[in-house]
Amino acid sequence: MKNKGLGEFEELVLLAVCILEDSAYGISVKKEVEKHSGRSILLGAVHITLYRLQDKGFLKSELGGNTEKRGDRRKRLFQITQAGMKQLKASQEVRQKMWQFIPQLKPST
Amino acid sequence: MNTSHSNPPKLLLRFFKWFCDPRLHKYLEGDLLELYEYNIEKQGLKKAKWKFSWEVFKLFRPGIIKSFEGTQRLNNYGMIKNYYKVSMRSILRNKTFSFLNISGLSVGIASCILILIYVNNELSYDTYNSNYENTYRVIHYYGEQGAEPNFSSLPTNEYQVWGNAPAAPSMQSFFPEVHQVFRFTSDSPWLISYNGITFSETGILFADSTAFDVFDWKMLAGDPKTALVRPNTVVLTKELAKKYFGDENPVGKTIIMDTEDPFEVTGVVEVPSNSHFFFNGLISMSTFKNRRPGIFDSWGYVDFYTYFTLKPGASIDILKQKVPEFLEANYTDDQNYYIDFEPLSDAYLHSEAGRQPGAIGSIGNIYIFTSVAIFILLIACINFMNLSTARSVERAKEVAIRKTIGSQRSALIYQFLVEAIIITLIASLFAAVLVFAGHSLLETISGKTLPINWLFSIQNVLLGLAAVLFIGVVAGSYPAFVLSTFRPITVLKGSFKASSSGIWLRKSLVVLQFSLSIILLAGAAVVSSQLDFLQKYNMGFDSDQMLVVDFGYDGLVQQKREYIKQRFNNHKDVEMASVSRAAPGDFFPNAGTGITDPISGEIVYKGPAIYEVDEDFIPTYKMNIVAGRNFSDDFPLDSANALILNESAAKLYGYSNPEDIIGKSFEQWGREGKVVGVVKDFNYVSLHEEVEPLSLRFGTRYNVSVFSLKINSQDFSKTLAELESIWQEIIPHRPFDTRFVDQNFNAQYESDERFGMIFSIFSGLAIFVACLGLFGLTIYSTAQRNKEIGVRKVLGATTTRIVALLSKDFLTLFIISLIISIPLSWYVMNSWLDGFAYRISLGFEIFATSALITLLVAFITMSFKTVSAALSNPIDSLRDE
Repeated sequence: MKNKGLGEFEELVLLAVCILEDSAYGISVKKEVEKHSGRSILLGAVHITLYRLQDKGFLKSELGGNTEKRGDRRKRLFQITQAGMKQLKASQEVRQKMWQFIPQLKPST
Repeated sequence: MNTSHSNPPKLLLRFFKWFCDPRLHKYLEGDLLELYEYNIEKQGLKKAKWKFSWEVFKLFRPGIIKSFEGTQRLNNYGMIKNYYKVSMRSILRNKTFSFLNISGLSVGIASCILILIYVNNELSYDTYNSNYENTYRVIHYYGEQGAEPNFSSLPTNEYQVWGNAPAAPSMQSFFPEVHQVFRFTSDSPWLISYNGITFSETGILFADSTAFDVFDWKMLAGDPKTALVRPNTVVLTKELAKKYFGDENPVGKTIIMDTEDPFEVTGVVEVPSNSHFFFNGLISMSTFKNRRPGIFDSWGYVDFYTYFTLKPGASIDILKQKVPEFLEANYTDDQNYYIDFEPLSDAYLHSEAGRQPGAIGSIGNIYIFTSVAIFILLIACINFMNLSTARSVERAKEVAIRKTIGSQRSALIYQFLVEAIIITLIASLFAAVLVFAGHSLLETISGKTLPINWLFSIQNVLLGLAAVLFIGVVAGSYPAFVLSTFRPITVLKGSFKASSSGIWLRKSLVVLQFSLSIILLAGAAVVSSQLDFLQKYNMGFDSDQMLVVDFGYDGLVQQKREYIKQRFNNHKDVEMASVSRAAPGDFFPNAGTGITDPISGEIVYKGPAIYEVDEDFIPTYKMNIVAGRNFSDDFPLDSANALILNESAAKLYGYSNPEDIIGKSFEQWGREGKVVGVVKDFNYVSLHEEVEPLSLRFGTRYNVSVFSLKINSQDFSKTLAELESIWQEIIPHRPFDTRFVDQNFNAQYESDERFGMIFSIFSGLAIFVACLGLFGLTIYSTAQRNKEIGVRKVLGATTTRIVALLSKDFLTLFIISLIISIPLSWYVMNSWLDGFAYRISLGFEIFATSALITLLVAFITMSFKTVSAALSNPIDSLRDE
């Protein structure tokens, strides 16, 4: 993959996977992101992102068991990898660092 | 497990499976189903189903849709890419052949499109009317007195469009099916003055106020409902309004018509170019009615064209059936009279009735043009096929290697088809450029505005692409199928030669090309010599240097006509002057005329055409009197009781010897008297038709509108200027409006001439395209025989012998084509000539000339290559052995 960085949506999805721990798959991720961000998200977008993140090596996946609800279709469960965690942290650090330099946030104005 | 009621729509699931990337499909489908179940619980089945479909459609997006690469489709995609690449390479490598192919095809396609534009315009006549489908016009049959003809089987060419006034209102009240009726008269010239400028304008008609209900002419200013209601109102066309008023709004302004009557301009109208008749201005019919109320009740006075629309759902057949009933109730004269109806859709191309309100087209010409278009395209396609198969030996190795490596036959077929389609596509791009360049030229030649914006509708663009595909496939199919059959073993062993069946086909295609070329060329030659014949035909009267001064029935001029004639006669360049109602080539009426029958001795009525002339008309036009005498001042009563007929008219009344009709009684338009003379037949209408019966009577006041001056002058403009000053001196209020009889007469053949011109041009293009192909084949065959030529030269063959050797093959083909094409073109051109009453006979020389020209052109084309081959140094071709 050319770009190893994280997009905004990718970051949200990655965070959602972290939150969901062992039960991160298409719908649960979608619901999680919707819950926190308050916006409605396309299922397709979530899937594409999950696979892209897997291609980038930030996620790994395994087949989960099937549930009655899904009409015998198995889930693909995602988990964050070391690289994913590192990337997430890195991007958080970058933001933190930058936040510090915003003048308005200094108490003296 | 699932209960059946909650099954999501199957079709959607299948659709999803079809477009979804198979790697994602399973999990996404699982998610979709889970979401669906969840929604059923939360929002109910209906909403869930709706949401499910929405979700599926939202998944139809890049990233989810399976890609073209990376799945089992990879092969096809790659192959198409490869086809394209190989095709481009082969096109670029064989520049000469590609050039010949592309230029031939692009000329072919461009000609085809141009002809299509023309034909489409011809077919589009009058379709701008929203009432196109249910507008009809009345055609009238004016028969003789006596036995009634069988009206139901009367051919339409016995009818005429020009008819009487009362038919229209009677129809309106008699037939409940008739919705709107619209009449207009034949056009006549008017003097129009505004703000001190005066011009004589032609094409001014009287028209009923229903004009804009029946025809969808665009009213640019004024109210279409009321524009033509009041007397003394006039609607002008945009061009005329601009001429007099410039940028002013003419509505409400007053113009002076014929120097005395003020007319109010009530509208400005625009008539589409594809209308079957034209005018420059419309005067309200009520004006005419005020002036001459009598003729609006006369079934015998002919000056009106009647159009009407039917109410929705009404059938014209019912109207036709009720015609006898209608005439019974309304028609009171005793002359045979019948009416029939013709749909507006037939008016331009399919009408055989006489006295049309405007120039009409010819469906025959459309067929001819369409076949020319097809011929040209066919010739271009044949070029492509010939050149591709001729080069098959070169491509054979490529084919063999592909096959050895494992290519399937179908893949090779696709390969060659793609190549053909790419060439067609490139050619059609060039063709588009040629069409734009040729369009204005075609407009000039055809004398028509040919709109092309219709070409750019999505439908037509798609159709165009489909046509490109089709041409590509047609042109490429033979080479594709032939080349793909080559057996790799024979080819690679080196024992491969072009198969004899291929040569046979190539030869027959060349024969076809030659035949089509000869047919077209012979056609063009026949058309042009027929037109030449018409121009030079002796009309039976003198039209050379015959000047016509038109004064449009001007009252003052009529009063002073003898004086003006005398003044003109005194001019040294004027041989003779005459005054008459119309000059040959102009419009003229027909008149019910009764003459004593030679056998029964009773007066028999027929409807010959009528000329109103003076005593100088016949000598001025140098017509010959074959019996009796001319009108003469020695017989003062001639102006009231004498009649002259032409030979055809004498025959019509049963007198085969013109002497016998002299002195017989006649009745015509309120006059009675004796026939005094018979004039030799002269062609006063058109050489399309036989000379028709004509009567000449003395034109009294109000019935004459032109002077004819036989001029004998070296310096025409000087004579004209001098005559004009004489005119202005006597008649200062009227412009000196002149034209020449031969010009006027030849205008009738204008459409024939334009046809001939277009036909010749496209025939020339067809031959050009055929020559391109021939050139390509010559290049190929000389290249094949390169070594043979070298050996022959070494052994002492002369240049001429080698050229002859190389051309011999084509000569044989040429002779075969001659045998095929001459009878065919003879048949086609003979039937075209049947449209003329006076025609050339199809002699041998026309075909000989066109064959010779084709042969000559073919030889010149070939000689470019054959001569250079014959002159080349044998060392060059033999060295490599």
